[in-house]
Amino acid sequence: MNTMKPLRRSFRYGNVGYLFVLPAALYMIGLVGYPIVSNFLLSFQDVTTTTLSHAAKPFVGLRNYADLFADGVLRTSVGNTFVFTLGCLLLQFGIGFALALFLNRESALARTVRGVLMVPWMIPMTVTALMFKFIFSSNVGVINQALQGVGIISHPIDWLLQPGTAMLSLILANTWIGIPFNMILLSTGLTTIPREVKEAAAIDGATAPQAFFRITVPMLRPVIESVLMLGFIYTFKVFDLVFVMTNGGPVNSTHLLSTYSYKLSFTLFKYSQGAATANILFVILFVVSLLYLGLVYRNREGGR
Amino acid sequence: MSARSGPRRLYSLVVAIGTLAVFAVMMFPLYWIVVTSLKKEIEIFKVPPTLVPRELNTDSYSAQVQHGDFNMFRSFRNSFVISASAMLISLVLAIPAAYGVGRFFFKGKGLFILSFLVTQMLPVSVLLTPMFITFRDLHILNNPLSAILADATIGIPFSVLILMSYFAAIPGELTDASRIDGCNQFRAFRSVFLPIASPGVVVCLVFSFLYGWGDLAYGMTFLLDQTLRPITAGMFNFMGQYGTKWSYLTAFAVVTIVPVLLIFVFMQRYIISGLTAGAVKG
Repeated sequence: MNTMKPLRRSFRYGNVGYLFVLPAALYMIGLVGYPIVSNFLLSFQDVTTTTLSHAAKPFVGLRNYADLFADGVLRTSVGNTFVFTLGCLLLQFGIGFALALFLNRESALARTVRGVLMVPWMIPMTVTALMFKFIFSSNVGVINQALQGVGIISHPIDWLLQPGTAMLSLILANTWIGIPFNMILLSTGLTTIPREVKEAAAIDGATAPQAFFRITVPMLRPVIESVLMLGFIYTFKVFDLVFVMTNGGPVNSTHLLSTYSYKLSFTLFKYSQGAATANILFVILFVVSLLYLGLVYRNREGGR
Repeated sequence: MSARSGPRRLYSLVVAIGTLAVFAVMMFPLYWIVVTSLKKEIEIFKVPPTLVPRELNTDSYSAQVQHGDFNMFRSFRNSFVISASAMLISLVLAIPAAYGVGRFFFKGKGLFILSFLVTQMLPVSVLLTPMFITFRDLHILNNPLSAILADATIGIPFSVLILMSYFAAIPGELTDASRIDGCNQFRAFRSVFLPIASPGVVVCLVFSFLYGWGDLAYGMTFLLDQTLRPITAGMFNFMGQYGTKWSYLTAFAVVTIVPVLLIFVFMQRYIISGLTAGAVKG
């Protein structure tokens, strides 16, 4: 028991915090920290199915990155990832904001609808992907059936089989998931604007658009910024939705960095190239994440 | 209410109709898969589509109970085991960690919090390949443990960040009072702080479970054996096999979202607070 004493003493006051934090920290170091480092190393080696079991893995420097940038599919994937993310952000933020304003009333109906609109955000993305694959399908999709029913088109559109419409379908499906996220965060922001401010503006003769652009938007700015940044981060790394809906097709035209990385690693078994692609995704996200955190800290300091 | 003038009443009627229209448009995709799962295969191809099944057909569900390689109820159970285990690991590790961060000052605390914030923004893609290789070396590929360990990495940082603010908000007088009553740190944690933070714990339970339930990438990559795979991966395989059998596919999707809907119905309050506090999905 005596040997326990110094140990116990060192944990008695502030340092006891370490004891509580340690198990979670070790878990995360082992299952997140180590993989990040190992993914980084992997991208500078040449690991494929044949070299996977070898103890010594050949170091190839930047060759994987050079090969990837010479590869047209990677360049398309980078472009697609940005198109997908910005397209989704624009739609989900616009619609989410409109809905937040529209449903920002205390009637039982509005409250219920606000709540139920969370469901799209909660259900597994695999289900969402299946659902939209069905809705956009050429012969049984309800979109084609409806458009044909009212006579806008005479032949079914192959939504998911042409590059342009396939990307559009993916963006619309992901927007459906993103709307509740934007709406809830912006609604919560709206409730923090004091009623008096708007009343004062109304008394001073401000019109509705004036009140919106001069009061609501500036007062919501911190919320708007973080919603857009978080939206960017979550959309930029979307995997399941695209993997299930198009799996990068037709002919690699809708690959995102996430799905292309998966294809390289687990379909083509080029583990190192897959790792390198994931790293490119990671670096872009990391920069945006730091910008976001900087923003959060700045807003917090500005607010107090 | 009688003072209400005509135009005002008309206005609230228009608003109510608009609200219902928003609801209808947003919920239509979900409604559509439920209806489709109850239609006969021929009816699904009808133009114009029927909004309600002409003839109720529950074969898509019962066929699954009786036979089929892609037994959705088995993968349902797999998913449940994986998500519940990941949830337990997350909570067991995150509750003390959040308590440590929320109640104590120690060197490196800021860095600890920052690294958890960054972890939440990490793409699955970065971890997938190295985890696959590590799990392969540890011989736990094709073992539910691999998916469980991986899924918990999403729940832990979320839970720590949520619970941290709960613990930090508890007034210091309570610590002093519990110390005077003869509680040591661990006793105080268990009998004073944990009960107060319990709404936060529920938020973490819900979200950790949902992360596991929604996961496709880990379950599909680490579990290669069909009989071990979670329901999301099962559904994906099923799509490959029965690409156009939409009554079966939509039935599969409906079964997958049942637990999510139950969680929504009973836990709605916690979900909204979790979303606004952490605003994160894996």
